[in-house]
Amino acid sequence: MLIEIAFFALFAVSCNMLFGYGGLLSMGHAAYFGIGAYTLALLLKNVIGFPLLLAVLLGGMAGGLGGLIVGYFCVRLKGGYFALLTLAFCQFFFAIALMWRSLTGGEDGIGVKKPVFYIPILGSINMRQTTDVYYFVTVIVIVCFFIIWYLTKTPFGNTIRAIKENDERADFIGYNVFLSRLILYTISGFFAGIAGALFAIFQGFVSTGTIDISRSIEVLFMIIIGGTGSFFGPILGSGVYVYFTDRISRITERWEFVLGVLFVLIVLYAHKGLVGLFPWEKIKSFVLSRSKTRGPIS
Amino acid sequence: MEVSIYLIQAIHGLVYGMLLFLVASGLTLVFGMMGVLNIAHGGFYMLGAYLGYSIVVWSGNFWFCLILAPIGVGIAGALVERFLLRKVHILGHAHELLLTFGIYFIIGEMVKWFWGNYPLPFSPPTLLSGSSNIMGATYPHYRLFILCFGFVVLFLMAALLMKTRIGITVRAAVSDAEMVDILGIDVPKVFLGVFSIGSALAGLAGVIAAPFLSPYPGMGLDIMVDTFAVIVIGGFGSLLGAFVASLMIGELQSYGILFIPRLALVFEFLLMAIVLISRPTGLFGEKQ
Repeated sequence: MLIEIAFFALFAVSCNMLFGYGGLLSMGHAAYFGIGAYTLALLLKNVIGFPLLLAVLLGGMAGGLGGLIVGYFCVRLKGGYFALLTLAFCQFFFAIALMWRSLTGGEDGIGVKKPVFYIPILGSINMRQTTDVYYFVTVIVIVCFFIIWYLTKTPFGNTIRAIKENDERADFIGYNVFLSRLILYTISGFFAGIAGALFAIFQGFVSTGTIDISRSIEVLFMIIIGGTGSFFGPILGSGVYVYFTDRISRITERWEFVLGVLFVLIVLYAHKGLVGLFPWEKIKSFVLSRSKTRGPIS
Repeated sequence: MEVSIYLIQAIHGLVYGMLLFLVASGLTLVFGMMGVLNIAHGGFYMLGAYLGYSIVVWSGNFWFCLILAPIGVGIAGALVERFLLRKVHILGHAHELLLTFGIYFIIGEMVKWFWGNYPLPFSPPTLLSGSSNIMGATYPHYRLFILCFGFVVLFLMAALLMKTRIGITVRAAVSDAEMVDILGIDVPKVFLGVFSIGSALAGLAGVIAAPFLSPYPGMGLDIMVDTFAVIVIGGFGSLLGAFVASLMIGELQSYGILFIPRLALVFEFLLMAIVLISRPTGLFGEKQ
């Protein structure tokens, strides 16, 4: 379950880059997740002995490429139009995955052979063992988190936030709104692709379910539950989501109902998500005031 | 024989297009006026179908449920608008969208809860259960009924919007809600009315669809995808656009399945993407 949380967290963070930082609500983010998963599965299936890390990276690159192409058309639009167009493209990819049976196996999917590979210092990593998969996935996800976190702190991250606040103003000041959004969309697709590739390794199987509408919906649930706009919100949200769906589905068959109610309540009363419920600001100001008062004395 | 296949396929497309129009008309009204992309609309449609099923089982009269079920769904819509949607209105469109999304989820689950996971048998009323001969091929009456009913709804809605005072208010609020508010019209009340009428239309479409597709739990999501394509192609808020685009999608699907079944799904989204890219406001949409 921890593995599941890990790659879903990465997926959620990549989607939140768009919604939380860029103000772009993507309803078709599963497309890049699916592209990543399919890329990895196809590489491992057709090229014998293909290095796994490279396959994961290429899965991400494929997701990024998909993001670049789709983004070129989508990012000119805003709000509902943007959401719908991303949804349309996601359906488009879904249809391809479903119909192109000779490549993707249609609904039957592709099995992923779990490889054994060697890293010089650490020794062998056997992907058939759950603990090894766990370490592998966790390390990659954490590396990705650092990269994303770093990106949000760069001038580029600030540009994106400025565009979210007011795109017209950002445009007038001289930022290239279109290009910034396109880059953001591409990066987001890249990380979603990596998350998808990790998913493929974990599941050992890729089918049209990975690229389904309901997967795009799932990730939206995660980021809303956790809280948009903050970096840790989606991570918390995906953890809560995976844990709860697992737990509640054991207690009652109606877990989706409980989830729906929870979702509505969060949108209604805690629109910053679970992260927003914690009094971060108060703690921050408390700590700051303490350090300020302490400052002169020491 | 060749000709009749094309003809039958054309009528198939028209029938499905009409059904799409019934769903899309309510959605496009709500979107045009409130700016809310109402995902729960598919839920209301599904609710209509299931409510219709229960009413038919209970009363045994299809015509009775054709009136009662949309009213029930309209009330549900009114409650959702008044107690949920209005509260997140200040937070912006993304949150409204997400809220309707959660509501869709809840409706979908409640439907499964009350009516079970399997498609329900729903036969058309005895008056329409026969079929007739069209150019050497038999065609069920009920589908022809859907066709006629769609036209009736189109004309009624057009008359309501164009000829009555309510229609004028609604059209004014679609084009500029703020200005209408300043002019002294109670916009929240108009919103409430439009939302519940939109939901009732979805419910009506559900009842109409029930004997044709038989109610099943995924029906809401299935039709929503097509409906979104319709309102994007037709232009948000445009009734005429919704009508034309519904028929386009209906025909595209039915001929797509006839000629290139493998790519039938892809065509629709290609069309939608092309329209959005070349004319973001849709074929009949006004400029933003």
